[in-house]
Amino acid sequence: MTPLRKAALAAIASASLVAAGCGSGFDDNGSKTQQSSGPASLQIMIASSGDAETKAAKDAAAGWATSSGNTATVTPAQDIVQQLGQALAGSTPPDVFYVDAARFADYASVGALDAYAKGDAFLPRLNESFTYQGKLYCVPKDASTLALEINTDLWTKAGLTDADYPTSWDQLTAVARKLKASGVTPLAIGDTRDRIGAFLVQAGGWWVSADGKQATADTPPNEQALTYLQSLLRDGLAKYPKALDAGWAGEAFGKGKAAMTIEGNWIKGALSSDFPTVKYVVKELPAGPKGKGTLSFTQCWGIAAKSKFKEQAAAFVTAMTTADQQMAFAKGFGVMPSRTDAQATYQQQYPDDAAFIAGAQYAQGPVNAPKMDSVLADLDAALQGLATGDPKAILQRFDKNAKTALGG
Amino acid sequence: MAGGIRGNERSAGWLFVAPALLLLGLFLVLPILMALWVSLTRWNGQGSPFTAGVPFAGLDNYTGLIADDGLSRTNFMTSIRNNGYYVLFVVPLQTALALGLALIVNKRRGFFRTAFYFPSVTSSVAISVVFLFMFANGGAINAILSALGVHGPQWFSDPRGVFHLLLGDSAPAALADHSVLGLSWWDWISGPSVAMCAIIALVVWTTSGTFMLMFLAALQNLPRQLDEAGMIDGANRWQRFRRITLPQLRPTMFLVVTLGLIGSWQVFDQIYVMSQGNPAKTTLTPAYLSYRTAFRDFDYGSGAAISFVLFLIIVLLTLGQRWATRERNP
Amino acid sequence: MRTLISRFLGFSILIFVALVFLYPFVIQIANSFKTEADAAANPLSAIAHPFTTDAMERIFAGTAFPTWLANSVLVTVVVTIGRVLIDSMAGYALSRLRFRGRRVLFAAVLGVMAVPPVVLLIPKFLVLNQLGMYNSYPALIVPLLADAAGIFIMKQFFDSVPVSVEEAARIDGAGVFRTFWSVVLPTARPALITLTILAFQGSWNEFPHTLVAVQDPALFTLPRGLADLVSGSLGAGTQYPLKLGAALLATIPVAIIFVVFQRYFVRDANEGAERG
Repeated sequence: MTPLRKAALAAIASASLVAAGCGSGFDDNGSKTQQSSGPASLQIMIASSGDAETKAAKDAAAGWATSSGNTATVTPAQDIVQQLGQALAGSTPPDVFYVDAARFADYASVGALDAYAKGDAFLPRLNESFTYQGKLYCVPKDASTLALEINTDLWTKAGLTDADYPTSWDQLTAVARKLKASGVTPLAIGDTRDRIGAFLVQAGGWWVSADGKQATADTPPNEQALTYLQSLLRDGLAKYPKALDAGWAGEAFGKGKAAMTIEGNWIKGALSSDFPTVKYVVKELPAGPKGKGTLSFTQCWGIAAKSKFKEQAAAFVTAMTTADQQMAFAKGFGVMPSRTDAQATYQQQYPDDAAFIAGAQYAQGPVNAPKMDSVLADLDAALQGLATGDPKAILQRFDKNAKTALGG
Repeated sequence: MAGGIRGNERSAGWLFVAPALLLLGLFLVLPILMALWVSLTRWNGQGSPFTAGVPFAGLDNYTGLIADDGLSRTNFMTSIRNNGYYVLFVVPLQTALALGLALIVNKRRGFFRTAFYFPSVTSSVAISVVFLFMFANGGAINAILSALGVHGPQWFSDPRGVFHLLLGDSAPAALADHSVLGLSWWDWISGPSVAMCAIIALVVWTTSGTFMLMFLAALQNLPRQLDEAGMIDGANRWQRFRRITLPQLRPTMFLVVTLGLIGSWQVFDQIYVMSQGNPAKTTLTPAYLSYRTAFRDFDYGSGAAISFVLFLIIVLLTLGQRWATRERNP
Repeated sequence: MRTLISRFLGFSILIFVALVFLYPFVIQIANSFKTEADAAANPLSAIAHPFTTDAMERIFAGTAFPTWLANSVLVTVVVTIGRVLIDSMAGYALSRLRFRGRRVLFAAVLGVMAVPPVVLLIPKFLVLNQLGMYNSYPALIVPLLADAAGIFIMKQFFDSVPVSVEEAARIDGAGVFRTFWSVVLPTARPALITLTILAFQGSWNEFPHTLVAVQDPALFTLPRGLADLVSGSLGAGTQYPLKLGAALLATIPVAIIFVVFQRYFVRDANEGAERG
């Protein structure tokens, strides 16, 4: 055997050894990750509702970085579930990231989150969303609810007045017909459970039982809600954003392609930055057969269990959740503060947001259980086809899928 | 011949192939083995999948796709259906178009060949962006359609299958109430959705240039005598094409069809950029589903299992191609 | 008269088909320089009215386009050089050098060529993680450095070239590597150009690999950044001129290479036909 050949064989052999796991990049230490003190460079991943929120978060992070002597890089994720999933599996998670209430249980159950939180300063109803097996993991960032936004110019053009703001489904249908007659799409509504679910609440139903352990989609109230929305879609009284060439309902609304939309607090920031000229009012969602109903959304500041800078990350989160900072975010992109002591100030400063604040009283939180994401994604897919689909079949399908996920 | 120049060659041979061998082994062969292992586990993306703590699932991930009644099977079968219709449309269309283009440019050089081939070399992502714009509701395609008096569909938000559209909106109970492999018969016969049709149009448009070149190469190697003999016999142009040219193109035709089959089971980039499986899962394909299952749902085992089933489909097609070409070109 | 009509008809078909194939690019270019309102109202028009470079400015100022561009250039250059070197060495050895295991290796290369790239997404992610390379430049570059198809092309090329020159060189006592470097490579110029172009085009356009190799936006290449921009986060809006412009800029380098080296592109497709 010549030296050259020996060398080649050695190279191949050593390569297969490396591959066999000597140099594993996977980090199996879990929460025992080596901590670094001193100045940190924090990576923060956010799921931004738009340029307004991105800017506000970047400004706030830059402010904290300068005053504390650390660096903080804010990255708006295009698809936070996917990017975070890859980052966690690759053991390179950002130190701090938004955790949506609907995904929280998934992250907490696999041990991806550091349970740093002491949540006495926050609204208990929000804290509940971030508690897993009796332990609070992360503090709520803010809160939002859905309301009905109405473009006042298009409204007047259709011959409608302030007295016509709809407060019931029947009125909603009636004004939608008038708007349609004036040549504008009456309502732009997002094609997901996070918007359509509001109709279920108004009809007195919900996807799952109150304790979140049973699927309860296939009930008459839910069917009634979907059938009502289906009639709006079929008659052209409501349209999904894609049908209006828009990425989301707020864009269609901002461009004047729809006279009404159902979105949350974040729409204020998006409209003032992207469509500053549009004039609109915000009203509570029209009540259904069983009264008023809306959905609430919240996210928390999650800290990665594998972060090297947990202490600094916690300091960052504290700085992001002071009452002043929460009011600054409220100003920047319209969300409501999650701190108990900021509520009164907020109501004073933003009287126009009465509808969002009022909604918080009777809002329904998201479905929050591990392993539900693919079931909910399947539901969203079915809801995209609601106009031509069978509401009862959609609900039955959800029940069947959810039973497997919740039972297992 | 041992020793001397030849002896030197032996070691040099291994040395020359070593880098390629190492890279292909590390990034092609080894990953497949790793993924095979992961497809037998319930690894959730936390920590290394190659430790004792990872729950072993046996063949559960595979039976979940094929045998067990549940969401994974419904998703997988939906993706198979979608990709099946996609293949059914893309392969004949791109083959016919490629042959047509080759015949058009056979006697012309230069500009037109370049024009038809150019889409094939551009980035799939960049082209997808252009087609997203063209197929937007108020986009170029609908502008052309409305000039022709047709009210264009809302391409990327229309989940209705084209066969369903032809058959009418409501499902006959006999088809809707009976299902096989998690989808009702009515769902199976939906045809590609309107949204999928836009993607089919894009792919046919981009790939036919490549296949055109294959036909062109074959056309230019055809002996002229046969064609001339046909001309003397008084056969017209169509008869000569049908009776003389086409039979001689059979090997190329076969190659183009099988390469098309193999390629079109792998559609991913366009789905990722244009539709992400929406609307209503009608553009979900096995390749995209495998990606989504692993990286969005943290179900790496099931995602890897989907990859292997897809792998199997493609390997069978490849073997079929090898076997059949061997038969035809002894 | 009949032939005149049929000629005219044939030519009209040709023009029509050429329009179908080229007009999308015209639309792309025109709409990159339109205002958003104009692009939405007149998507078909080939003339931007009013003409604006607003979208182009926003591409450079408002997105991470410069980062993506720099990353793409880096990845493409390294991968192209690496592939040309590694593939031609392996192809040469498999064609010319006699050593035990050569046939098996070549069969293995053929086998690897048949592995469909999309089924490698999850596997590649696993191996990059296991090697501790995930989310880094090496992860973007190293796995792309060798490709089986390139090795195949080079082997076929060397098989088709007479051996006399290098035999002479070797009898003169030059070592295998010297012979390869100063005698073989220069004669392989046409095949090397083909390989270079293929490697350039392949790595410039590569998308799925970047999806599982990195997740840090600072490491995005053009296709990845573009895909991100298009499926954009909530509130980013449609912004078609911006997206079309970015896609246009990403297409230009390949377009230039294509126009300059057309005949080599064509050669590759023909080789594909023979490969069958």
